[in-house]
Amino acid sequence: MLFEDNMFDVNLSLFMPDVDFSRDNKILEPMEGFLRGNMFKDEYVPYKNLTYFKLNPSSEKEKMLYKVMALSFAINDLNLYLDLHPDKKDVFDLFKKYSQEKEKLCNEYEKLYGPLEVTGTTGSKFDWIDSPWPWENKGGSMYV
Amino acid sequence: MFKYVKHTNFPINIKKKDLRMAKYLISQFGGANGELAASLRYFSQKFSMPDDYGKALLNDIATEELGHCEMIAGMVAQLTKDASISELEAVGLGGRFTEHGKGVYPTNADGAPFTATYFAVTGDPLADIMEDMAAEEKARAVYENLIDLTNDEDVLRPLLFLRQREIVHFNRFKELYEYYKKKGY
Repeated sequence: MLFEDNMFDVNLSLFMPDVDFSRDNKILEPMEGFLRGNMFKDEYVPYKNLTYFKLNPSSEKEKMLYKVMALSFAINDLNLYLDLHPDKKDVFDLFKKYSQEKEKLCNEYEKLYGPLEVTGTTGSKFDWIDSPWPWENKGGSMYV
Repeated sequence: MFKYVKHTNFPINIKKKDLRMAKYLISQFGGANGELAASLRYFSQKFSMPDDYGKALLNDIATEELGHCEMIAGMVAQLTKDASISELEAVGLGGRFTEHGKGVYPTNADGAPFTATYFAVTGDPLADIMEDMAAEEKARAVYENLIDLTNDEDVLRPLLFLRQREIVHFNRFKELYEYYKKKGY
């Protein structure tokens, strides 16, 4: 495995689920799931000897955005599962918990660094239009 | 309707120009097994799903795939940034430059433009979902071919993520297929 515990030096307690899945370790924490590409542990099928790589955020802004992205990923993957299993209360509870955490973190991010959604453009200037856009790259130092 | 969120599904930050890889990678945007075909396939099929499970799943996977289109197209843009015309010509992208400049046009790796003939909508949920399962497996296979073609970590990282998403989507479609089969749709 190319990478084990922590993606980087941040407090991962934010992502610890209230529901205790540790007994069967069925659902991964958002950051772990995000790096793998799946929230359900038993769905992970690595290719050859490649597993997943460490991300290297270059700033506080990038670190925070990666947390937002990890939560957003977790919500999306649980969403797909819940589409077919809407009665799984434990998964739905986790979905709601991550949704709340993401909303809170997005608000904090938007206050510090600008809008993630157009309705988050609430400052003195319409900075929704500001670069970089997610598909851009400014010499390897920007957040995407 | 759709809302835009100003971040990618997974971080993309390619530092090294690689026109050869860009030429291959474009297939996962505009090729037969690419993300655009996946997104439009599920988006179009959702209107004839027979119950809440199918409507929700196809809608939500179609939406995720549109984000994957942005990832692949963004990777192509980053891989070709600052390329000169002679560099493009050297990897056989002169014809592409003639038609599209340095724009990101959805084609396969050989330059064939995207077409809706890459996917089907039969109106039959079992037929459509069986196609969706095959589509996810084919996309996984193409991601594995692409992974074999590079050793740039900045390129590998998102490719491994996207490959794993194909596996997860396949599992969800398979569950839905088995359920619909039992229901007798």
